[in-house]
Amino acid sequence: MGAVLAIAINTFRETIRNKILYTIILFVLIVLISGNYLANISMHNEDRIIMDIGLGMLSLFGVFLTVFTGINIIFKEIDKKTIYLVLSKPLNRTGFILGKLFGLLLAVYTVVVIMFAILMAQSLLMQIAYPVNLVKGFILILFEILIVLSIAIFFSSFTTPFITGMLTVGIIMVGRLLPDLHQIIRVKYVPGFWRETALSLTQIFPNLYIFVPNGHDFNGQYLSLTSDFITWNYISWTFLYTVFYSSIILVLASTILKNRDLV
Amino acid sequence: MKHSEVPLKIINISKTFKTGFLNLKRVKAVCDLSFTMKKGEIFGLLGPNGAGKTTTLKILTGLIFPDQGQIEEFGYPANSVKARSHIGFLPENPYFYEYLTAREFLNMCADIFNLPKKEKLEKIDYLLNKLSIAEAADRPLRKFSKGMLQRTGLAQALINDPDLIILDEPLSGLDPIGRRDFREIITNLRKQGKTVLFSSHILSDVEEICDRAAIIARGKLQEIGTIAKLLSKGVKETEIEIEATKAQLSQLQKKWKIFTNNTTLSGYRINLPPNIPLQKFIKDLVAATITIKSIKPHKESLENLFLNFNMSTDQNSPTGLQNNKQSSPTGLQNNKQNSPTGLQKNKDKEIE
Repeated sequence: MGAVLAIAINTFRETIRNKILYTIILFVLIVLISGNYLANISMHNEDRIIMDIGLGMLSLFGVFLTVFTGINIIFKEIDKKTIYLVLSKPLNRTGFILGKLFGLLLAVYTVVVIMFAILMAQSLLMQIAYPVNLVKGFILILFEILIVLSIAIFFSSFTTPFITGMLTVGIIMVGRLLPDLHQIIRVKYVPGFWRETALSLTQIFPNLYIFVPNGHDFNGQYLSLTSDFITWNYISWTFLYTVFYSSIILVLASTILKNRDLV
Repeated sequence: MKHSEVPLKIINISKTFKTGFLNLKRVKAVCDLSFTMKKGEIFGLLGPNGAGKTTTLKILTGLIFPDQGQIEEFGYPANSVKARSHIGFLPENPYFYEYLTAREFLNMCADIFNLPKKEKLEKIDYLLNKLSIAEAADRPLRKFSKGMLQRTGLAQALINDPDLIILDEPLSGLDPIGRRDFREIITNLRKQGKTVLFSSHILSDVEEICDRAAIIARGKLQEIGTIAKLLSKGVKETEIEIEATKAQLSQLQKKWKIFTNNTTLSGYRINLPPNIPLQKFIKDLVAATITIKSIKPHKESLENLFLNFNMSTDQNSPTGLQNNKQSSPTGLQNNKQNSPTGLQKNKDKEIE
C-alpha cells in the first residue's frame, strides 16, 4: 500500500505543479463570480442562476480537467520512460494504475472542492434556499469525475493521448445522452434482433446522465435544485454504480498493462 | 519459492519483438541466453548496440516478458515483487519526473520500498552526499545536467540497499571525474558483498572493474568467463628478446619456422606466434645457451576480442571463429583476421 501511496503522491504533485491548471482555475473562478452578477440582473431567479451556473460550471470544468490530465496519465510514463524507474521496484502494475488513479483523483477533487467551497460561500452569503441540494449535486459530480478518469486511464494504458482524448470525450457525450439514444433506438428499430443488439451495445457506455438529473428522475418525480431534488438513497445507488463501472474499467486497464512489454 | 543465495540465474531466455506494418516483422532480440551470477561479483554484459543487452536487463527487471525461459533472482521469479525488492536498477539514459527535486524523487523511490521514515531520511542524505548531488538536492530535476541525472539515477538504484544492482550503461554521459567516482562506487559495492550486473560497450571499464563478463551479439551469448581468462585466451604473440649469434638464430628459424628481422642493440627480437608452444621454445633457447633478455606476451585487448566477435557475427559465418586454425606459423598475418580466442563457438561452455 505504501508503494501505491507513493505513486499517488507523485501524481498529485505532477498535476498540481502543472501551470496550465491554474489558467483553467482562474477562468472557472471568473465564471463562478460572474454568476453573481447574472443573478443580480435576473428577475427573482437569483437562487436558480447561482446554483445552475455554479454546479454546471463545476461539472463541466471537473470533467474537462479530468480528461485533460487523464489522457496522458499512463502514456506519458511509458513514452518518457519514467515507468522504468517505478515498475522495476516492488510495485505491481495494478498498484501502479491505482496509484495514478488516486493521485489524479485527489488533485482534481482538491481543485473542485475549493471551487465548490467558493460556490457554497457565495450561495450562503446570498442566503439561497436548499443549499443541501448543492451538496447533493456536487457529490454526483465527484462520482462522474471518477468514471471519466477510469475511462481515460483505460485508453491511456494502450493508446496515444490524442486518441484517448477523442475516445474519452466521445464516450462522455454518448454517456450523457444515453436516455436519448435509447429513445432513438426504440423509435428507429422495430422490436427484434437489431433493436435488442443496439440496446445491448449501449450498455457498454457509462450512464453519465444519472449524474446530471434534470427535469425528472427515473420514477417520474419532478426534480429541481431549487425545490425537491434527488434523495440520499439515489446518491447511494449512483455511488454503487460508479464503483462497479470504474472497477470493471480499471481491471481491464490493469490487464492490458500487465501484459504489455514496456519497450 | 525459497530465498536463494544465487543472485541471478537465467535459463534459456528468448525474446522476439513484433515490428513493422501490422506487426508482421519479427526481430529476435534475445536468443537462448543462459548464465548464472555469483554472489559478490561484478559481472559485465558486453555487446554492440542492438546486441540485446538492454532487452535482457529489462527482462530481468520485469519490464519485458520473455517468450520462453526462466529467470530466478535470489530464488524468486524475475517479475515477482519479492525479487524486485532485492534489486536496484539504473536504466540506460534514465528519465525522471522533471518537476520533482532530487530529494523528492528519492523520497518517492524509498516509499515504494516502504522504508521506515528515519532510515529513509538517513539513506537519502547519505546517497546525496555520496554521489555529490547534495548541493542540488532541492533543485528540480529538469535543471540537472546529464551527469547529475546519472548520479541521481544511481542514487535511486541504491536506495533500498539492494543485493543485486543492475546498471544499464551506467558510465555513459559522465565526465572523467564522474566515471572515476562511479567505478569507485561500483567496486565498493563489491566490497560490501553486493552483486553488480552492468552492461556496457565501454570496454576499458569492464576490463578494469568486472570479475567476469559475458559477450553477447545478436541476442546470443558468444563468450563468458573471468576477464583474465577471456584475455588470456587472446594472446596474440610473445615477444622474446635474445642475445644470440647469427648462426644460432638461423638454426632457430629453421627449426621453428619463425621469421625475424628485428634486431636490438644487444641481439634479436622474435615475435613468437601463439601456435608455437612457448615452454618448448624456451627450453630450446636454454639448451642452445642463448641468453633470454625478456619475454613479453602481447595480449589481445578486450576491445579487439569484442570487435572480433562482432565481426564474426556480422559476417554471420561460423568459420569466422575458426580462422585461427589457419593462421600462419610465422604469426605475421593480420591478427584481426584471426579469432582472438581461437575458440570454436561454444556458447554454453563457461571458461572458469
